[in-house]
Amino acid sequence: MHTIKRYFYLSSAILSGSCLVIMTLLILAQIAARFFGVIIPSSEDFAGWLLSATIFFGLAYTFHTDSHIRVTILLSRLRNRTKQIVEFFNLTAGILITGYLAYYTSYTAYESYIYEDVSDTYLAVPLWIVQIPMALGSVFLAISVVDSFIQALKGEAHEEVKSQEELLSSME
Amino acid sequence: VTSAGARWDMPTPYGDGTHQTQVARSFAEEINAKADGKLTVNIHSGGSLIKHPEIHRAVKTRQVPIGEVFIGRLGNLNPIYKLDNIPFLATDFDSAEKLYKASKPEIQKALAKENLMLLYTSPWPAQDLYTNKEVNSLSDLRGSKMRSYSPTTSRLADLMGTTPVNIPFSDVAQAFTTNAVDAMITSPSTGVNGQSWDYISHFTTVHAWIPKNMVFANKRVFDRLDKETQQVILTAAANAEKKGWEMGRKLAVEHTDALAKNGMKVVEPSKQLIGELEAIGATMIDEWEAEAGESGKAVLEAYQAL
Amino acid sequence: MDITLIGFILVVAMLLMLTSGIWVALTLTGISIIGLQLIGNDSIGLLLGTSSWSAVTGWSLTALPLFIWMGEILFRTRLSQDLFEGLSPILSRFPGKLLHVNILSCGIFAAVSGSSAATAATIGRMTLPELSRRGYSDTMAIGTLAGSGTLGLLIPPSIILIVYGVSAEVSIARLFLAGVVPGLLLICLFMLFTAVWTILQGRKGQTADTETFTFGQKIQALKKLIPIVLLIGAVLGSIYQGIATPTEAAAFGVAGSFILSAVLGSFSIQGFIDSVAGAVKNSCMLGLILVGAHFLTLAMGFIGIPNELATWISTLGLSPFELILYLTVFFVVLGCFLDGISVIVLTTSVVLPMVTQANIDLLWFGIFLVLVVEMSQITPPVGFNLFVIQALTGKNILYVAKAALPFFFMIAVAIVLITVYPSIVLYLPTMMTS
Ligand code: NA
Ligand code: NA
Repeated sequence: MHTIKRYFYLSSAILSGSCLVIMTLLILAQIAARFFGVIIPSSEDFAGWLLSATIFFGLAYTFHTDSHIRVTILLSRLRNRTKQIVEFFNLTAGILITGYLAYYTSYTAYESYIYEDVSDTYLAVPLWIVQIPMALGSVFLAISVVDSFIQALKGEAHEEVKSQEELLSSME
Repeated sequence: VTSAGARWDMPTPYGDGTHQTQVARSFAEEINAKADGKLTVNIHSGGSLIKHPEIHRAVKTRQVPIGEVFIGRLGNLNPIYKLDNIPFLATDFDSAEKLYKASKPEIQKALAKENLMLLYTSPWPAQDLYTNKEVNSLSDLRGSKMRSYSPTTSRLADLMGTTPVNIPFSDVAQAFTTNAVDAMITSPSTGVNGQSWDYISHFTTVHAWIPKNMVFANKRVFDRLDKETQQVILTAAANAEKKGWEMGRKLAVEHTDALAKNGMKVVEPSKQLIGELEAIGATMIDEWEAEAGESGKAVLEAYQAL
Repeated sequence: MDITLIGFILVVAMLLMLTSGIWVALTLTGISIIGLQLIGNDSIGLLLGTSSWSAVTGWSLTALPLFIWMGEILFRTRLSQDLFEGLSPILSRFPGKLLHVNILSCGIFAAVSGSSAATAATIGRMTLPELSRRGYSDTMAIGTLAGSGTLGLLIPPSIILIVYGVSAEVSIARLFLAGVVPGLLLICLFMLFTAVWTILQGRKGQTADTETFTFGQKIQALKKLIPIVLLIGAVLGSIYQGIATPTEAAAFGVAGSFILSAVLGSFSIQGFIDSVAGAVKNSCMLGLILVGAHFLTLAMGFIGIPNELATWISTLGLSPFELILYLTVFFVVLGCFLDGISVIVLTTSVVLPMVTQANIDLLWFGIFLVLVVEMSQITPPVGFNLFVIQALTGKNILYVAKAALPFFFMIAVAIVLITVYPSIVLYLPTMMTS
């Protein structure tokens, strides 16, 4: 189980990172190509799609490493039981919202598939293909919130709200 | 806001300054005044509610009941929408009206397949050539970088012997100033709205084509309204279409004058340039006909018969 | 349901959710769902799908993760250290010393980047650890960064001036020109505040960094700035030579940073992987907030709260000065809860006619708007610079907001100054016409 989880978050990070690198290379190639008087068709559009893939694919990894921003003023002042209750409330809300997001981003991609929608760009790319990272990434995010919820149930504290000093030192 | 009546939120792609949004606003005002509180249309201009690429889909799936798009933008969905951007097919407003008349049944058919209904269209002024030097023939443009924003404009740039550069409207000023592009084909209104005299010197009135916006509603949402309200909408749409075409004609002249007044060199195209461009137009019409098949051929024949 | 009541419910719900510790991006999404539910919208889910898709697919947005990545790469080189060692002899006699590095680097980087979050993220990644290491006050290090990060919006190129220019039909070239002097003014105000604060603190005996330098050392030190000057010069040059658009220039920056790190001998495979991981974390964090903020903007479009408020202001019959005062308060209050750019997008249809009728110059108004949006970037609970800095430092958002407060007031001072002396804005663009 532990290994599966590790690979899950690792693939979220790798997919996201790869999209970022490919996006950068594409934009650089576009600059170079134009310099020599050629164009890469639809490169702006592909860069935009790679951007959405970068962001959505990486959401789960980002959640797992506790990098999504939240206000921890209350949490850091609460103790044991109360803190657990508040965290349960937060994670339940998190599951509901990310679940809703996962369902409807997937539905949007599915709808693009059944309508055979294509992009309005130079190359007519089937929209569902470029929307898959959004759907998958949102599902990954929902899974990672559920994972945190289960951790909390098991009594292992959800990735502790780190003290400021700790974070600062990890930063350097 | 009356809670009893229906409320239609209508996303439009362009800002409040463009005549297209003004036409949409007068369309909404007429409905709001005459529908007796049974329907209120709320304009959300400039892509503030739904962005341009998503408007068509949003109306289709009833996220919003009504919306406006630039017809050519849908070209990948159906070739009939591409016809709106074919250069040197209909270059003055009389021919553009004829082309609209000839293609309207096909547009309606294409929309109906997606449960949509056409309410009205409204043209932009004809597309002219902006450059930073005098252009007497295509050889003057050879090798330069031309702004493109759609498959059709990219193909046109190719055929003109230039390199198409995909630049969104918002980057145009910067791109011209830094020579990332040296030419573009767009309406005089776009030039006036973006104060193009700050960075472009020449304006050649080639009148390449007259593109249109269209406003359409979701048929199922429309059918839910009572007959009276439906009639109010249809009448308002007819009036908006009339107003849109009048404004398009008027602005073509006014905005070209405004460009000249602000110091741009406005010139009529040379015979040679027009000849070369019309040859390109003929190629693109052939290409379109090949793509659109029988129904496309029928539309072109209907147009030529008018 | 009454729109005032809906607004009240949403604000209370948002504050509750945020305080409880629900993730900011999820709170924004949740609030939008509640709001749309309250007005009885029946396609909330589909709208969320549409909105999420268009929120992070834009070509112009690609610059954001690229600049964040650039910061991550530079952070792993000697460059940030060199930046400080190069500048510290010059600033050694100036009250506030290296705190000004934050302000000046943001000012310079703002000429490359069009967004405030990207500016704060890239510069902060380099400067914050170094300032902390040298014993500068955390509050001031964070405050100067939060404040001057907003310069990314004012000093051209600027995303928001493009958005405004398109909707108000004001020449973007002129707007860019108009932003230059107010940008410099803001830099001066920030530096002035930092110097005065340091002098006041100095009496209590708290000064960091007490090194002194000879003239020769100063010249030696300047050499350390060569690599970074080359990098910024290359990126700027690519824009102004027409080789790259401002968006593409960010990719240029990433490439340049890699070349620099290789030349400086600090490139390694592990470092590369770490830099990508760091960029992914921060980009995804901001990306999800953008998804939430975009959906909230859409919900606000349907509910119509900003629009109603602006319409109410337009019925008051205000003089131009009063109008500016009311609009400032209006934008600051809305800017607490909504992303500043969204506020502008949502209200231009109502606000611009008001402004035109009051005979306020639209060019001037564009710069005014940028300044109020800059303020919204550093006000809690929803302020993008605050999020960026919370991610960089781990300090909670109220701490960061408090540190940024003096700079919020400095921007307010700038608004007063451009209102009293409009030529600060209009001088350069007028020169262009004559
Ligand atoms: Na900038
Ligand atoms: Na704010």
